[in-house]
Amino acid sequence: MASATAILTENLSKTFGTTKALVALNLEVPEGEVIGYLGPNGAGKTTTIRLLLGLIQASAGRAEIFGVDCQENPVEAHRRLAYVPGEATLWPSLTGAETLHLLGRIQGSVDTAYRDALLERFDFDPTKKVRTYSKGNRQKLILIAALMTRADVLLLDEPTAGLDPLMERAFRDCVQESRGRGQTVFLSSHILSEVEALCDRIAILRAGHLVEVGTLEQMRHLSALQVEAEFDGTIPDLTHVPGVTGVTVDGSSVRCHVTGSVEPLLTVLARAGVHHLVSREPSLEELFLAHYGADGSDGSEGPPDAPA
Amino acid sequence: MRRRKESYGDRAASRVVARTTAKRASRPGVLWGYVFGATIAATVYTYPKTFPTLASREALVAFSNNAAWAALFGPLYRLDTAAGYTAYKSGMFVTILGAIWGLLIATRLTRGEEDGGRWELYLAGRTTRGGAAAQAAMGLAAGFVALWLPTALIAAAGGALSTTDVSVRALVFFATAAVSAAAMFMAIGLVVAQLAPNRHDANMAGAAILAGSYLVRMMADSDPSLAWLRWLSPIGWVEESRPLTGSHWVAFLPIVALTLVLVAVSIAVARARDLGTSAFAERDAPRSRTLLLGGQAGLTLRLARPAIVAWVAALAATGFVFGLVAQAAGSALKGSPTLDRIIHRLGGTAAGAVSYLGFVFVVAAGLVAIAVAGQVAATRNEEASGHLDNLLVRPVARWRWLSVRLGVGLGLCLVAGLFAGFAAWLGAATQHSGIGIDQLLKAGLNVVPPAIFVLGVGGLAFGLWPRGAIGVAYGLVVWSFLVETVAAAVNSNHWLLDTSPMTHMAPVPASNPNWTAVVWLVGLGVLAALTGIAAFGRRDIVGA
Repeated sequence: MASATAILTENLSKTFGTTKALVALNLEVPEGEVIGYLGPNGAGKTTTIRLLLGLIQASAGRAEIFGVDCQENPVEAHRRLAYVPGEATLWPSLTGAETLHLLGRIQGSVDTAYRDALLERFDFDPTKKVRTYSKGNRQKLILIAALMTRADVLLLDEPTAGLDPLMERAFRDCVQESRGRGQTVFLSSHILSEVEALCDRIAILRAGHLVEVGTLEQMRHLSALQVEAEFDGTIPDLTHVPGVTGVTVDGSSVRCHVTGSVEPLLTVLARAGVHHLVSREPSLEELFLAHYGADGSDGSEGPPDAPA
Repeated sequence: MRRRKESYGDRAASRVVARTTAKRASRPGVLWGYVFGATIAATVYTYPKTFPTLASREALVAFSNNAAWAALFGPLYRLDTAAGYTAYKSGMFVTILGAIWGLLIATRLTRGEEDGGRWELYLAGRTTRGGAAAQAAMGLAAGFVALWLPTALIAAAGGALSTTDVSVRALVFFATAAVSAAAMFMAIGLVVAQLAPNRHDANMAGAAILAGSYLVRMMADSDPSLAWLRWLSPIGWVEESRPLTGSHWVAFLPIVALTLVLVAVSIAVARARDLGTSAFAERDAPRSRTLLLGGQAGLTLRLARPAIVAWVAALAATGFVFGLVAQAAGSALKGSPTLDRIIHRLGGTAAGAVSYLGFVFVVAAGLVAIAVAGQVAATRNEEASGHLDNLLVRPVARWRWLSVRLGVGLGLCLVAGLFAGFAAWLGAATQHSGIGIDQLLKAGLNVVPPAIFVLGVGGLAFGLWPRGAIGVAYGLVVWSFLVETVAAAVNSNHWLLDTSPMTHMAPVPASNPNWTAVVWLVGLGVLAALTGIAAFGRRDIVGA
């Protein structure tokens, strides 16, 4: 099936006063994809989602949900999407059931059987007033309200904040099911294991700029391989080998990163008499930290160079 | 010697709630103290200039047996003296504003802090629940002193500098009596903060007590045979102390007793309950009430329902009292040149009860305008709290939501106006005043156009400047109130008077509605609201 474009942004930008919260974001998410949206606090993740929702006005550029302009015609765009914020602020005087009733009516269509299944799966008691729910329970409520609509696009902004590991598991199952049904999921998250487990593609944002987008595999190829080698004799000097960085020596073993071709490194290692060699691709966490760890978490302008 | 760890004395650590509360209550307390003190001082100081001759003072005394003024501002004694005039002119003003401030500051610094989760931090330290409540009371006491001191000092200074014979001692007594309402309502605030499930409900309960106290003393002051009722109202006790004209210390007994008892009650309740809960436990609704929850319009109605019910009840009660006293007040007013002047300025011609009702419905218009400003505030608070996001991320158009929200405000002022008119007729009918129901319903509807104007301007501010919308809406009402107060005191046609929407109201039923003004007020209000709705569609949703 030729897939349509679920989410499309063209040069989408937002400036608050003098702060450039989002700079010329170009992103295309095909229907049925689960995309992870990563970035440190203040990188512009929530700004992106609020622009897609039409809650704030773009300073430049545009965004579409299934071809409907999010800024010009938000009501039409919203018919096909559901949104989960990181912190649920619901009307404290309504009960859980009343909230679900209201939000379902406003959305216009609800899969009631699925809603009941979700209530069961998240072990949620809807008879209490929102005021009395814990943070986790409020989050469950807003998750159920979004998922029960079976919307074509799910915009999730750190949706599992405050959920316990069991509920986090239930959430992952729901996202997997949504993917199975062909729904598109836009998942902004800090929980890297969650993104690693669920997402087809990952986009990384930094200080308002999109710095990386691709599958985890692609990103791994682009980034450094970790190599750890042990030697019988003297340890060779690896610092001048092309592509090698971050050399640390620990007794008879040496650790380093290598980008690009591994051949020059292997040649040096083989000559020096290596007797044990481990190489490992970076985890998402390491990729992520490589982008942000070294030179501060925000404020710098352009996209960073290859990891140090 | 250097210490490795910063450590504070046990006493300091255990007093943190008292100190924080004191600090946060004292700053606004001092500011209000300046305002109150300046109000009193200015009145004493200007009396000889405003009423220089015996004749002018005798004209003022014509007020003394005037039930309408007494109902609004308390009994009037010795208006031919600077002391009596000052007591009448600034007494009720300071008393009521002080009571409102005391209530709001008490609930904000206790229940508000608890709702915000900050008391949990304190209680995780070395403070117990009862201890924290006691410390909050101590902190508020400091805030009260911060209010009282500048009020008394500035009032006394005003008296000392003036050419009148008002003694410094009498002025200090007056300042103390007037701000004592703040102490009582601080204590009432402490108790309702412990009983209600959240700060908002606590404020509502406190406001109901204040309104009740005001209405009881209103009845007491409008008919000498009901004067004993004054002893049933905290505001009545302040009146019974007869500041400046009698200095009756005995009235301070119930004031002090009530304050101390309520503080003790608040500490006892705080000790007995869990943090974050209330004595009136919220019921888990066993059955969902989804009648109104079919869409955003129904939701808006449901959210606004408590405010609508409260305001309609308050206006009906006010209208009833007005109607009840209209006959007596009307006969007392016959021949009062000042009221005649006011009614004439407003365009009225009638006399007696009808004239009195024409005047007091201007007051009702002020109340309805406050109610409507409250709806503007509720609109902004829906956005600021993030609740609105839940609607706008779904297929709900912004213009539709805001139209409905402002429509509820419009409905509120219509219903409140009609109820006020009907209740006034009911009250007047018990006194066989012979005023027709159609006249009073018309008077009720006549309060709506200024409210529409306030609603429209509030809606415009919400669309263009969301963070300022609440200030603009209430500011417009306060401005109108100030302008009306000035207009009542001086015979002026200054253009500034025209900036108050109330100025353009005809005193129905004392005259026919001013249709030109009605068209202008409604037209400008609707235009402003439509502009606000259009602007809201093009701006960012902004949080608190």
